[in-house]
Amino acid sequence: MSANKADTMHGAKSSQSKWQPKGGRTRAWLADHRRVASETTLFISQRIVSSFLVWLMIGVALALPGLLWVLQSNMHSLSQQWQGSTGLTVYMALEASEQSIADMAATLQREPAVAAVQPTTPQQALEELLAQSADSQFLQQAIAEVETNPLPTSFAVALDSTQPFLALETLSRRLAAQAGVDEVVIESTWLERLRDLSRLANRGGSALSAMLLVAAVLVTFAAIRLAIDARLAELRVLALIGATRSQLRRPFLYFGSAYGLGGGIMAIVLMAVFLNEIEAPLESLLISYRNTLVLGGFTPQMVLTVLVAGWSLGVGGALIALSQRLEAQIAT
Amino acid sequence: MSFLQLQRVTRRFDNGSEGLSDVSLDIEQGSMVFLTGHSGAGKSTLLKLLIGAQMPTSGRVVVDGSDIAQLGPGALPWYRRQLGIVLQDHNLLNDRTVFDNVALPLRVTHLAAKEIARRVRGALATVDLSDRGHLYPRHLSTGEQQRVGIARAVVNRPQIILADEPTGNLDPYLSRQVMALFHQFKDLGSTVLVASHDIDLIKDQGCRILHLSQGALVQDTQAPSATAEQT
Repeated sequence: MSANKADTMHGAKSSQSKWQPKGGRTRAWLADHRRVASETTLFISQRIVSSFLVWLMIGVALALPGLLWVLQSNMHSLSQQWQGSTGLTVYMALEASEQSIADMAATLQREPAVAAVQPTTPQQALEELLAQSADSQFLQQAIAEVETNPLPTSFAVALDSTQPFLALETLSRRLAAQAGVDEVVIESTWLERLRDLSRLANRGGSALSAMLLVAAVLVTFAAIRLAIDARLAELRVLALIGATRSQLRRPFLYFGSAYGLGGGIMAIVLMAVFLNEIEAPLESLLISYRNTLVLGGFTPQMVLTVLVAGWSLGVGGALIALSQRLEAQIAT
Repeated sequence: MSFLQLQRVTRRFDNGSEGLSDVSLDIEQGSMVFLTGHSGAGKSTLLKLLIGAQMPTSGRVVVDGSDIAQLGPGALPWYRRQLGIVLQDHNLLNDRTVFDNVALPLRVTHLAAKEIARRVRGALATVDLSDRGHLYPRHLSTGEQQRVGIARAVVNRPQIILADEPTGNLDPYLSRQVMALFHQFKDLGSTVLVASHDIDLIKDQGCRILHLSQGALVQDTQAPSATAEQT
């Protein structure tokens, strides 16, 4: 080592005598963010398989509540379409007496669960049938050839929408037991059952979602903790040479953000694939019930919510890991 | 006027033992001081207190009028940026080149890349490692690694250099070169505090010597300067 080399590097000695930051902090801060972002990209690209698994875990954890929300929103929309048609139809026997028909009308009027009753006489039913089959010459001809009207008196009963499905079935059994009744058909039974199943799925799904979300935070925590451990020597040196607490924490918050946002994107992809897969069979099912539904709920707001939720999970996991590991290991 | 002060400092560890016991001392700005004593005498503990890596159990560590214990997590890093720290085990990062290791203290201060490169080249030249910048620490000898550690300590033009056994892995020739380098920084205004048990090397430096034993400051002497001895 040659003499006086220190002169060339020492230069003007810093005049800073007190240990406080001075000037240029914003530019320095931005430069540090650029550097950390670039390091994070490199770090993740070097560990793409393990990073993918973290994204998948967070993605699944987010996709489940997301899908439940989308399905619930569509179920609500389906219910809205059916509103008013929920109820039952009482078909009187062809040989039912005038008295039986009048008794049934009176019973329905007295029933508190009934919101409205629409009676249809055999003649009205025949006219409706003729009107509906106007396009079919064959059907028109067949009806004309029938000597007596084969259609019974019926009552279309709209029920109070607050009534549970169980009340509907009880009423149905009670009405079917009355004299002169041939059949009681509960309308939209499948929809009510679907609603009940949906409520059950929501409850179970919510509990499962909560557990998966906790698992996602733990997975991020574990991944960040490993990253901290891998860089512990470096962090100790950085702390010794004057890296601030923010500078030490920043890379790991970036990892958390990257894991969380990646998980959010994964969740959106999973949801899109799932909804796309069930759309055709669901449409076909609904057509068989004389209804249609275009799956909605997968909106830009929904996508943004999933991304923000993913980011929050990632950063949450990183913050836990930092408080548990970094602060315990590094004397800042 | 004192630049570094320890005022009745005691540092007690969790197991009850004392690393330092009621130590008081003053060190002037721009001076070079040696800390000596056997292993476990408290040299490293004293340096760690000055770095802010440990806090005193009682007493005050004051640097340029500021109590280190009162700096808090916001100001402590800015204080450490004024320090050049040389550790016995080098603490080099094995996944980074020599150049990047030396550049670390400058990167945390967000200097421009050109300025970082200029200063790192200067620091490597100072320790005669100009041609080693592209290598990784594992490719260097122990002595060369120690010199990289010294280059990293001085690259940010520190006001205070704290060195813990900086010549522990060096041969006598390189040890004297390192001491010459510290003298140059002292002459430029840095305050240099070197912990070493190499008495032969220390007594030739003509500097103040603080002798620690079992955590206590037992002797504070001024060695005769080498030039005075020669005359």
